[in-house]
Amino acid sequence: MKKTQYILFVLCMTLCFSCAVDESCRTNQSVLMDIGMYHVTQTDTSRTVASMTIDSITVRGLKYDAATKKYSYMDSVLYNNLKTITKIDLPLHSFESTSAFEVTFNSKRITTNTVTNINDTTLYINKKDTLIVTHQNTDKYLSLQCGSIKVHSLDTILATNNFIDSIRITNRKVSNINVENIKIYK
Amino acid sequence: MSKILKYISSLILCFVVVYSVQAQKTKTEAKTKTKIVADTIKTPLFNGITVQGDLISAASSMLSSGETYSYEGALQADFKHKYLPVLEFGYAGADKLTSDNIGFKTNALFGRLGLDFNLISQKKDKKPTTNLFLVGFRLGMSKFNYNITNVSITDDYWGGSQAMLYNNLSTTKIWYEIVVGIRVEVIKNIFMGWTVRSKSLLSKDADGNVTPWYIPGFGINNGKSNTVINYTIGYKFQLPSKRKSFGSIKKPNAEIKPETKLKNNNQQTK
Repeated sequence: MKKTQYILFVLCMTLCFSCAVDESCRTNQSVLMDIGMYHVTQTDTSRTVASMTIDSITVRGLKYDAATKKYSYMDSVLYNNLKTITKIDLPLHSFESTSAFEVTFNSKRITTNTVTNINDTTLYINKKDTLIVTHQNTDKYLSLQCGSIKVHSLDTILATNNFIDSIRITNRKVSNINVENIKIYK
Repeated sequence: MSKILKYISSLILCFVVVYSVQAQKTKTEAKTKTKIVADTIKTPLFNGITVQGDLISAASSMLSSGETYSYEGALQADFKHKYLPVLEFGYAGADKLTSDNIGFKTNALFGRLGLDFNLISQKKDKKPTTNLFLVGFRLGMSKFNYNITNVSITDDYWGGSQAMLYNNLSTTKIWYEIVVGIRVEVIKNIFMGWTVRSKSLLSKDADGNVTPWYIPGFGINNGKSNTVINYTIGYKFQLPSKRKSFGSIKKPNAEIKPETKLKNNNQQTK
């Protein structure tokens, strides 16, 4: 009899205290545009694309001044001479439809000459490219604990070609779910 | 402080549940000791209506200092002591403020309609019982308005912020519940018992929708199913003609009266 009472008591206690509400936000709230670096090797018969490691990279946001019609640096640096990078995550402007970045690459490319069979080394030192992204911003409500965030839909991306050979949008939706949005090819 | 109060009240509640079940069992055992042999039990079609209120939702509403509150009652009919259609109704709401000062406010009426099945079958050779072991389902609905205040989006890198307005949003939520419980007659026509119910919403909100944190009648909307416990007290209204019929015991016709028995013995001795 006592056993039955004990089981009932434990059951009641479990039911009463198993319904506690978690107050903290456990959802990822950061919305970042993911850019991957790729190298293309092309021969007469084949074309291979492989992930590329950049020796060091520096990325800064550029704000546009409508009065002077010029871009100037943002106060904080997004990536400050970060070593061995294969991808970068950049925040887009939440309240404007254009975001601009200056990316400085330091990289060394080793290619094998198929005729002489000797490795050729090319150095890229402080090669600066500017990325200009146009996008649409929409609100996304997460929860009472997490509030709302801005998510983006990419329209176009323009880049200078000092280091970058070409650039391609692979996924237009930039949200709190991390997926690669842009591929940079060298 | 409120957590301690909740803890103490839950303890008291648990003891009440355990004690009431135990008391009922002892009562039943004591009664069965008096040997009564019953004839066939004829269960009438309609056995009355029980009006009941939920004690747990009322108690937790008082302890939650207005963050969430729910008061609910029910009308349950008894057909053949086996099928018990039920109409549950109530008033619930929430006035919640998160640690980041985001506020949520709602209040509305809700209703549930369902059917319980009593799994205790009446046996011919045993005393008929009014106690119930119930398994059932409910379909619940609530139409309500809600406000979410103090939500803002801040751009940490590029700068700027925007206040979001989520005022007077309206929605209708429908859910189903699977119910298991017991109900015992503690005093004549006064029933007490508990039910455990698993609640699930019929439709899921699309990603990014401004969903309500609390749904009256359903509880906190965490995107998953909710499991709650109810402890009810109720009064059973029975039709005057039925009061005697169900649960009354017909004494067996073949039973021999003590006087007749004595006479027979005397005749044998002669």
